[in-house]
Amino acid sequence: MNTIVRTAISLADVNHHYPGVIQPSLTGFDFSVERGATIALIGPSGAGKSTLLALLDGRLRNWNGAVSVLGNSLDAHTAPSRTDRAKTGFIFQEFALVERASVARNVMNGRLGHTGPVASLFGRFSQLDYDAVDEAIEDAGIAELADKRVDSLSGGQRQRVAIARCLAQEPELLLADEPISNLDPLSAEKTLKLLTQIRQKRDMTLVFSSHQPDLAKRFADRIIGIRAGAMAFDTCASDFTAEMYQDVYGTEAVADNALRLVG
Amino acid sequence: MSDRLRHDRSYRGWLTGILIAAAILWAGSGSDVELSRLVEAGPRLAAFLGRMFPPDLSVWPEVQKGILETLRIAILGTFGSVAASCILGPLAADTISPKWINRPVRLLLALMRSIPLILIAMLMVGAVGLGPLPGILAITFHATGMLAKFYAEAIEDVNQTPVDALESAGATLLQKLRYGIWPQMAPTILRDTIFRFELNLRESLVLGVVGAGGIGFLIQTYVRSFQYEKTATVAIAIAIVILALEWINTIVRRMFR
Repeated sequence: MNTIVRTAISLADVNHHYPGVIQPSLTGFDFSVERGATIALIGPSGAGKSTLLALLDGRLRNWNGAVSVLGNSLDAHTAPSRTDRAKTGFIFQEFALVERASVARNVMNGRLGHTGPVASLFGRFSQLDYDAVDEAIEDAGIAELADKRVDSLSGGQRQRVAIARCLAQEPELLLADEPISNLDPLSAEKTLKLLTQIRQKRDMTLVFSSHQPDLAKRFADRIIGIRAGAMAFDTCASDFTAEMYQDVYGTEAVADNALRLVG
Repeated sequence: MSDRLRHDRSYRGWLTGILIAAAILWAGSGSDVELSRLVEAGPRLAAFLGRMFPPDLSVWPEVQKGILETLRIAILGTFGSVAASCILGPLAADTISPKWINRPVRLLLALMRSIPLILIAMLMVGAVGLGPLPGILAITFHATGMLAKFYAEAIEDVNQTPVDALESAGATLLQKLRYGIWPQMAPTILRDTIFRFELNLRESLVLGVVGAGGIGFLIQTYVRSFQYEKTATVAIAIAIVILALEWINTIVRRMFR
């Protein structure tokens, strides 16, 4: 197989600046990700993890450099096509669900990139759409919640709904922006376990950001550290050390977390 | 810290109290508010109510015609203001329209709200003549001032992240509106519209006084000619419609929580 097909993401000298902000949000990003890999991005809040993920999702504008996602070059000024957007799934930190709608309805929203743009407005979906929703709900383990309204669910359950919505897209690349930071430790671990299992089952590529070095080391194959809008390190998960962690977060505040890594 | 807590705001409470008391005293100090008249009011009121009984139901057909016309004015006026608000509401919303549009639109809506309905009705009667049409136009104009503001607020309250999620999934603009924005604001829009319809109905009761259609014309005719038995029939008809509406309102709101 040639290299273009085997590469899920590639960035070459990517820079971005939010208007009116002095510090650049992304400086000189240069890396690529093989298909099927699980990558963790770690770094303090405001370091640029979310900006990078939004860029890969095709929702960031006015960056420069070259970015290719799933073999398609992104354009810095226009949104990707519907089909390309559907190929990349995004899991938001704050779940981003329509609270008043049912679980199944929210999962069906993940199909909107595939459905007819007019028929879907009248609630008409194909058998393919319904099947994809059923499978996504099954994979996310929320079959018993399908008819409940989202505003009646717990945080962990909501995150599963958000994951199911993403799976309904049938994406090839799964991006997750701090998917576990709003969850208790047990749900956090379960969620990452679920994500990595699904990644394997559906043969996707997974990139997630997190503040938890121990979980990142356990679930990812590769860890990229980001500090002040630049890459601080890019390492195989097994080579990830407490020093690297302290390098991006600073020394004192994180001694505790760093110890967990060593231990 | 505790010191700040102890001293903070205490003077504000006093100041508010003094201002309220001053306002009430000033309003009551006018020499023409003679509380002594209340003493004689009781028997007179009793006589007045006595003359309303028994209600003269022989006028029911024309009362029914009048109240139904008022209902029609309220329905069409509400429909008109919903249509206008669907355009002006989004234009007045901070989150989807730029400052140079939403500020002037907000000012316009505030002006529309500030003109009393009865004044607009008189203007409309002058413009299009007597009948329900000037009433409908007046209600449309007056209600839009409030309803478009409510719609704008409903739009501003929409959480953007679910809409971003649909964008990410490949949704079109219309799909985002239909499945991301609309479900979030629909219950608020429905509640506000029903509330405004109720107000429209109550306010349109008086439109007939200036010749803008509906039951108001009968109220004026009967009261001016001292036909209190017939006025009582009008009061009964109004009460029935208002109560029925409140009952329907409660049911609808329970359905769309």
